[in-house]
Amino acid sequence: MANLVIENVKKRYGQTEILKGINISIEAGEFLILVGPSGCGKSTLMNSIAGLEDVSEGRILIDDDDVTYSSPKDRDIAMVFQSYALYPNMTVAENISFGLEMRKVPKDEREAEVQRVADMLQIGHLLKRKPAQLSGGQRQRVAMGRALARRPKMYLFDEPLSNLDAKLRVEMRTEIKKLHQKLGTTIVYVTHDQIEAMTLADRIAVMKDGEVQQLGTPQEIYDNPTNLFVAGFMGSPAMNFVPAKVVEQNGAFALELQASKPTIVPFSDQESLKPYLGKEILLGLRPEMITEPQPHKEGAAFVVTADIDVEVTEPMGADTMVLTRISEAEVNCRCNPVYPTKAGETIAMMLDTSKAVAFDKDTGERIDQ
Amino acid sequence: MSNVAKRQTSGLDKVLRVALYVCLLAMATVYLAPFIVMLLTSLKDVEEIRSGTLLSLPGSIDFSAWSKAWSGACTGSQCEGMAPYFMNSFKIVIPAVAISTLLGAINGYVISHWKFRGSDFFFAALLVGCFIPFQVILLPMARTLGWLGIANTTTGLVLVHVVYGVAFTTLFFRNFYQSIPGELIKAARLDGAGFFTIFYRIILPVSTPIIVVTVIWQFTQIWNDFLFGVAFSGFDTQPVTVALNNLVNTSFGGKEYNVDMAAAIIAALPTLLVYVLAGKYFVRGLTAGAVKG
Repeated sequence: MANLVIENVKKRYGQTEILKGINISIEAGEFLILVGPSGCGKSTLMNSIAGLEDVSEGRILIDDDDVTYSSPKDRDIAMVFQSYALYPNMTVAENISFGLEMRKVPKDEREAEVQRVADMLQIGHLLKRKPAQLSGGQRQRVAMGRALARRPKMYLFDEPLSNLDAKLRVEMRTEIKKLHQKLGTTIVYVTHDQIEAMTLADRIAVMKDGEVQQLGTPQEIYDNPTNLFVAGFMGSPAMNFVPAKVVEQNGAFALELQASKPTIVPFSDQESLKPYLGKEILLGLRPEMITEPQPHKEGAAFVVTADIDVEVTEPMGADTMVLTRISEAEVNCRCNPVYPTKAGETIAMMLDTSKAVAFDKDTGERIDQ
Repeated sequence: MSNVAKRQTSGLDKVLRVALYVCLLAMATVYLAPFIVMLLTSLKDVEEIRSGTLLSLPGSIDFSAWSKAWSGACTGSQCEGMAPYFMNSFKIVIPAVAISTLLGAINGYVISHWKFRGSDFFFAALLVGCFIPFQVILLPMARTLGWLGIANTTTGLVLVHVVYGVAFTTLFFRNFYQSIPGELIKAARLDGAGFFTIFYRIILPVSTPIIVVTVIWQFTQIWNDFLFGVAFSGFDTQPVTVALNNLVNTSFGGKEYNVDMAAAIIAALPTLLVYVLAGKYFVRGLTAGAVKG
């Protein structure tokens, strides 16, 4: 168990800056997920933590030790790779015990450790096989076993599930979470899958273009994104961004939308709207905040019922997604499947702006708090 | 209808197939004919050869030409046959092949997985070595060997072959190692393995196909080399190719074609043997792609 501090880490390849000053700090035992689109620098950051790539500037501390210039083997971390990177010439048992052998652990201890790890991951029957004789899911387990066997201070996972099929991915995701709960070790995990990020993380660092856009718990990131990028990246389907005009109504600032008819919705952070009076902002509204009229919410503050024109409906079983258009923007609404929705009709919907967020139209930065 | 169409194409197929085999057989005959003539001639006695029946089978099988070629024929003033030179060749080939293969493997490993500033340039420069004609370096190499004090020695010849071979062996290994995923090396580094441990424990065990290719290539090149052998060998370190040349050029009275042929086959036997034993790995190794892990 170890905490991890990344201080102003920069990485340059010639003129191009891949990491532009990363600051992240997590407690021992936390599950940190680095998430972002391809090329955002998350894998480079991961390699820097592992010591496989040198940083150009900044410091990395593991367990309060400065390891910025330590070699990978001295950092006491284990890594699971996207391609699993199992040694093709060794059996599963040899793969798992290789790291121990390199650290000169006696043979009987190594064997005991292999057995322990194999039991934990239920791969005991595979120990004598070569990697080529394993399925994708089995290789994934062996790769994790190899990391577990050394009992390192910290685990790094580099997109470990992206080579698995959808069903197996969900299973392994749960297993990784269980494993983390059981071991309580610090984990840094890279993914581009925002669902993986939401479900696994204690804390998420959303990255873009070599910068951390936001670091926070999954719920913080979901409810309080700092800018348009984070808001749009996390959540599926994505947050709706509706252009809205700031107007004054009955002495309060409110937002005017164009649903089926012009509609005025209230907004909680009054102060933030003041400078934008008469101008347009982007209102961020999660799909689950636009639903069929729910009697228990009738008359609550920040709840408005409005007519919308249904363009497409997508029944998903648990919910039905209704695609509509508000103020020229495509908007996803999450409805109860029993509510009658049909493409081409105009139906009543309930807009709940209590958790809505507002962004500056030009900068994409959050304007309310 | 479809049945008829099928029968027609299969008839055409058969004709094409026969034509193919005829072509292949003709080619094989052209290739094998010299060897068959050599073999037949080596088993005849001198009288029978003089009668001019080049392609006919020997009247009686006579191995005396072989034993003379091996241990009695004169190569210049010495009359000990091919045997001592045969051994000389092995003394050159075995260390030269081993060293150049090992160096090539390490070079390839470094160039593909431990890139350093300028490693691509280094590789390109090494590649140029594959294209330098042998004759160009004869004089500078002779000076170098003399300066090192190993002119006319087996060690000198081994050095020449290693230097010349490393360009090829590096190319072979580098291309092969390029297909080994870099994550494998990273994983081993995190596991605590160092440069040579990774090479020895992880890279070498998956290198069998390319080692076979390189060994065959180097063995054939070095065994068959005549130019370096004739230029840089001493009187008692001559390789078998040079001895064969001397043997064929030395005659007392009549030309003993049967002994010449037997000596030529003896000189070619080791490379033939290597191909027969490891030929299938050669083809497989040349086309070997990614190492699936």
